[in-house]
Amino acid sequence: MRDWATKHRWEAILIVVLAATIVVNVALSPFYLGFGNFVNLFWLSIEKIIVVVVMTFVIINGEIDLSVASVMGFSAAVTATLYNGDVVPFAVAILIGIAAGAIAGLLQGLVITRFGLPSLVVTLAGLIGFRGAARVLLEDRSVGDFPEWFERIGQQTLVGPFPIALVLFFVGLVVAWVILERSAFGRKVYVIGNSADVARFSGIEVNSVKLRLFVASGTVAGLAGILFAARVGAVQGTLGETYELDIITMVLLGGVSIFGGSGSMLGVVLALFTVLNIRNGLGLANIDGIIQTGVIGLLLIGSVLVPNLARRYRLRRPAPASPASGAIAPGPP
Amino acid sequence: MTAITRRSRVLGPLVVVALVVAACGGDTGETTTTAGEATTTAAEATTTAAETTTSAAAETTTSAAGGEAVEITGDGAITATFLPKCTNIAVFPQANSGAEEAAAELGSDPAEFVGPADCGDSTGQIEFMTNAVTQGVQAIMLSNNSGDQLDAPAQAAADAGIPVVTWDSPIPSATGESVFVAQVDFDETGQVMAEMARTILGDDGGEFAILSATPDAANQNAWIAAMEEVLATPEFENLVLVETVYGNDVAEDSVTAALGLVDSHPGLELIMAPTTVGIVAAAQAMEQEGLCETIKVSGLGLPEEMAPYVESGCAPEFALWSFVDLGYLAYYVAYGIATEQIVAEEGAAFVAGRMGEYEITADPTREAGLRVLMGPFSKYNAENPGT
Repeated sequence: MRDWATKHRWEAILIVVLAATIVVNVALSPFYLGFGNFVNLFWLSIEKIIVVVVMTFVIINGEIDLSVASVMGFSAAVTATLYNGDVVPFAVAILIGIAAGAIAGLLQGLVITRFGLPSLVVTLAGLIGFRGAARVLLEDRSVGDFPEWFERIGQQTLVGPFPIALVLFFVGLVVAWVILERSAFGRKVYVIGNSADVARFSGIEVNSVKLRLFVASGTVAGLAGILFAARVGAVQGTLGETYELDIITMVLLGGVSIFGGSGSMLGVVLALFTVLNIRNGLGLANIDGIIQTGVIGLLLIGSVLVPNLARRYRLRRPAPASPASGAIAPGPP
Repeated sequence: MTAITRRSRVLGPLVVVALVVAACGGDTGETTTTAGEATTTAAEATTTAAETTTSAAAETTTSAAGGEAVEITGDGAITATFLPKCTNIAVFPQANSGAEEAAAELGSDPAEFVGPADCGDSTGQIEFMTNAVTQGVQAIMLSNNSGDQLDAPAQAAADAGIPVVTWDSPIPSATGESVFVAQVDFDETGQVMAEMARTILGDDGGEFAILSATPDAANQNAWIAAMEEVLATPEFENLVLVETVYGNDVAEDSVTAALGLVDSHPGLELIMAPTTVGIVAAAQAMEQEGLCETIKVSGLGLPEEMAPYVESGCAPEFALWSFVDLGYLAYYVAYGIATEQIVAEEGAAFVAGRMGEYEITADPTREAGLRVLMGPFSKYNAENPGT
């Protein structure tokens, strides 16, 4: 136990924070502890947390994808436009919408790998461009009145009390964990994140891995956009706007290094539970949304600051302890 | 240590901080082109009652079908949620103060006043509705900003036996909704806006544009649809509606949208904003650009916010109703239903404290749903600044 905590310092801290959050929530609201609320807590943010899973790969890989929320909006807008135009069956429109997300990811991935441009810049352009495309497609309209089966996907339950999107999330999470931490591909993601040069010299096809991650990111974002449309029953050009910030926040709070190379799926899951529980608890206690955002912002700044300060403190003091892998500390160049 | 490491160490935290800062900022959406889905059906709004400021509605008629009006009285405290479109627009705290006044009169606890911080956040209300159901409140009072997107959570509330009383802006399909407390008759709003436009533009008419709230705002969409009906009549044929744009009830977005109108329509003479945020933003933009001589502003506005623009001539005339009264009446209705003093059905009549007698009727402006009509309209201008 103690060993685990030293090895997984950040995860251990998150467990404490999460436990504290739960205790505070129970004290704040008598309605917090309930199975229905537990489902709602995930359901209300389901699109975000689905994208968080794939964003974890991208950031560990040493890249970032700022375009995810815009791609969500773009995919949903493509589907809604096709539905409105009555060109293809709705199910086909959904597939085309998800494919549009995949293509968005592919395009950005190609620019990043072929021209060696920083993903921060390329996906920032994607953030603006795909949002623009969504708004051009839908103008100021709100497209709704989807077939009933579609809204049922977002609103009704599949297994017991769980909506389809929730089941999808948990299944995806397990698959993602296996790929990231138990497969050769996952090892490559870490190695590239630590040093792309070292990875290249070791014969890892760096660009291919990166490209696949960006395609995955676009595809999952597209799927999330469609799930969003199903959940709320309407699509606007602004769908998902600013979600990239919440998504990246959860990944970084999970101890994934913004410089790439380190982080774990467990940490991200704990961070995601923590953020959702903070929002839910404060919401049930009728505490303002602005304060909720403030609390989460403070947590994020703390998550970057504390490990770095701790590391500096350890370095100054000739400590006997071996340097534990600081969660946010940058890896070697 | 290489240069790359040093740079990335500085850059990393910077990126994080920038993200946090950006997360706190508002969204700036560009706004273009026309019409959200109109949610209302037909209007026979052709009466030319003109100068009158009183609602045509049956404000104090005794109910024919429902028999005696029930006086809603204090019957213990209830828990309730008062959910506005957003919390940062002046009219919504005003409405809440009316609800608090009603709660105090009835010996109940004030409702929780919660909602999205930003009216541009069209899906934010879903979370608040869901939380209210989880909390098991006894009534929800809602001004819908999410079109049909609240159908599912409103139905969940209804399934849990929680009355959902909408005020200001209804649920278009009426799904899960008990009754809608309408500020004014939605068809009359179209009529009043058309009349104000004609007063300002004169009998020769001219080009005007509409600056609305969000494309999903059920009330604004209904008013615009009603106004378009009125504009189609011969009397108003000289008034040319060139474009409808959306400022999302966010001040910056509305200013941008207003300036966009000026750029794209050189012949524009009037901006009609059926939202208290849009009208102030438009007046402010016209004043700053020195355009008040050529482009006037009208619509629905708060007298205290509009006073300087009435004085400067930017906004010769606008209209509104009392949001305090609206919140007060909404609370009475929600309390009456929650304590089973009244039933949300056609013909039910009741007395709501200082505001007198009302009746629940079918809502003529929607295909389904019940309505309590408040009224009346007040028009504000240089003679009646309202402050």
